[in-house]
Amino acid sequence: MPVDALRFLSPSRTSPARPRIQSTRMGGPARENLHETDLIREAQAGSRTAFDALVRQYDQAVLRLAMHLTGSEQDAQDIQQEAFLKAYRYLGNFRFECSFYTWIYRIVTNLCLDHLRRRKARREDQAVVIDSSGEEMDLLTNISDERAGANPGRELDRKYLGQRILMALDELTPRERMVFELKHYQGLRLRTIGEMLNTTEETAKNTLFRATKKLRAKLAELR
Amino acid sequence: MNCELAQESIVLSVYGELPDERAHQLEQHLAQCERCRQEMEAVAALQKAMSVMPVADPSPSLLARTRLRLDEALDAMPQGGFFRRVSQRLRRSLGILQGAPVMAMFLLSAGVAAGAYGGYRTGARSAQATPATATRPIPVVADMDAAQVAGVTSITLDPGSENVEVRFERMVPETAFGTLDDPQIRQLLLVGTRERANAVVHDDSVNLLARECQAGHECNGGPIRNALMVALRYDRDARVRRKALEGLQSYISLDTRVRDAVLEALLHDPDADVRTEAVGLLEPVEADSAVRDVLQTVASRDDNPHIRTVSRQYLEQVSQIQ
Repeated sequence: MPVDALRFLSPSRTSPARPRIQSTRMGGPARENLHETDLIREAQAGSRTAFDALVRQYDQAVLRLAMHLTGSEQDAQDIQQEAFLKAYRYLGNFRFECSFYTWIYRIVTNLCLDHLRRRKARREDQAVVIDSSGEEMDLLTNISDERAGANPGRELDRKYLGQRILMALDELTPRERMVFELKHYQGLRLRTIGEMLNTTEETAKNTLFRATKKLRAKLAELR
Repeated sequence: MNCELAQESIVLSVYGELPDERAHQLEQHLAQCERCRQEMEAVAALQKAMSVMPVADPSPSLLARTRLRLDEALDAMPQGGFFRRVSQRLRRSLGILQGAPVMAMFLLSAGVAAGAYGGYRTGARSAQATPATATRPIPVVADMDAAQVAGVTSITLDPGSENVEVRFERMVPETAFGTLDDPQIRQLLLVGTRERANAVVHDDSVNLLARECQAGHECNGGPIRNALMVALRYDRDARVRRKALEGLQSYISLDTRVRDAVLEALLHDPDADVRTEAVGLLEPVEADSAVRDVLQTVASRDDNPHIRTVSRQYLEQVSQIQ
C-alpha cells in the first residue's frame, strides 16, 4: 500500500467524544504562528514572561489529556508539571523542525508512556484487592476519595460499563493505550500522533488497529 | 478490496481518516460482504461504548492550583537564560544527558545545577550570549553502562548514511542529605513508600514518615497521611502496619477518613497486635454510631480475648457517658 495514498486526508470526520475545532496548528504563515514563533525565541533568549505565555496556551489541554489518561488528578498534575519543567530546561533544543505544539506533546506523551509502564509494572506483583463494599479496588487510585460515597442505583449500570472499559483499556500495551487515547479521545490525526510518538503514520495506524481489536475482544469477553 | 483491507478501512473511516478513493472501494465491498457489514456495526458500537468515559475539562480550581505549582517550581529554578548556557556548556563538554524519570530526581538535578551556578558565576557574568551554533552534541558519552540507561526515547537515522542519533535517558544515581523535616527529604521518602522491589527502603520510608507525624512535626495532611493509610491497609508486614497506625494517631480525631481506616484495621487486620493498637487509639475519639457498631462487632467476634475485653470496656464507658 503506497504511503502517498494516505496523504489524501478525508475532510469529513466523525467527531470524537468532544467537538474539536479544525485548525492548522502546524507550520504555515498564520498570524497566530508568527506570534508563537516570537514568543519561543524570546523564551529561548531567557524571558520567563514569554515562557509563561507559551505555557498558558497549552497547559489546559495537557492537563486534560493527562487527567483522562491517568484517571488521577494528582498524577495528571505531576505529569503536567514535569512536562513544562522539561520544556523549560530543554527549550534550547527546539529548532522549529516541527511545531511547538508537537514538541510539547512529544514530551507529554513520553511522560504518559512512562507513567503507563510504571503502572503496568506495579500491577504485575500485586493481587487485586476487594474492599469492604465488595468492589474491586485499584490500589493506585487515591483511596481517600471514593470510599465513603454511596452509589445511586441508576448510576450503577453506567459505572459498571465504565469499569469494564477501564479494564479493557488496561489490557492494552502502553503504546496502544496512548495511540487510542490520542486518536479516540483527543481526536488527533494519525499523522500528528506518529510525529508525537516519534514514529511513522503507518505505525500509528497499525497500533490503532491492534488497540481496537483488543478492546473489542476484551469488552465482548466481559459482557 | 479484500476483507482484511476492508476491516482496516472501517476503523479508519470511523475515525475520519479514510482517503476518499478507499472510501469508495469500501462502499463497494460492504455492498457484497455481510461479514464486513457486521464488522462496521461492531466498530461503531465500540466507538459508542468507549464514549462512556468522556474527556472532562479540568476544574478551574485544579487548573489554578497546577499553574501555581508550576510557577513556584519555575521560580525555584536558577535564572532561565543563564541556566541554558550552563547546561549547553555542560552538554558540549561532557555529553551527558540528565534523565529525570521521577519528580524527586528532577528536584535533585535542579539542585546539582544550582551548584554548577555557583561554580560558573564569575565566568557567566562576562560571557557573551553564544549563538546556538552547535547543532549536535559532541558524541562523547562517559562510561556507557547498559544498566544505567532508563530508556531510549528516539532514534533518528541520517538519510543516505549510516549515522544514527540516539536519544536516551540515563538513571543518574543521586544522594540527598538532610533532616526529616526537609521537604526534599520528605518528598523522597514519599516516593520510597511506593517502592515495591526494595522492602527495606519501603519499610524505612513508612517508619520515618510515621515517626515524624508522631513526634508532632508539621506533617501537613495530604500525601503523607495518604501514604500512611495505604501502608496501614496493604502492607504485608505487620510491624510496618503498626508503625503506620502510630503515625496516624494525631489525625484520628481530626479526620474521619483516618478514623475509618483505623476502624477497618480493627475489624479486618489479621494481626492481633495491630488490632490491639487500633482499639487503643480509638479511646479519645468521639464514639459516634460508626465507632460503636465496630466496637460491638469486635467485642463479640474478635479472636483475641484481650481485644474483646478492651472493646467491651470501652463500650461500657461510652454508654455510661451517655
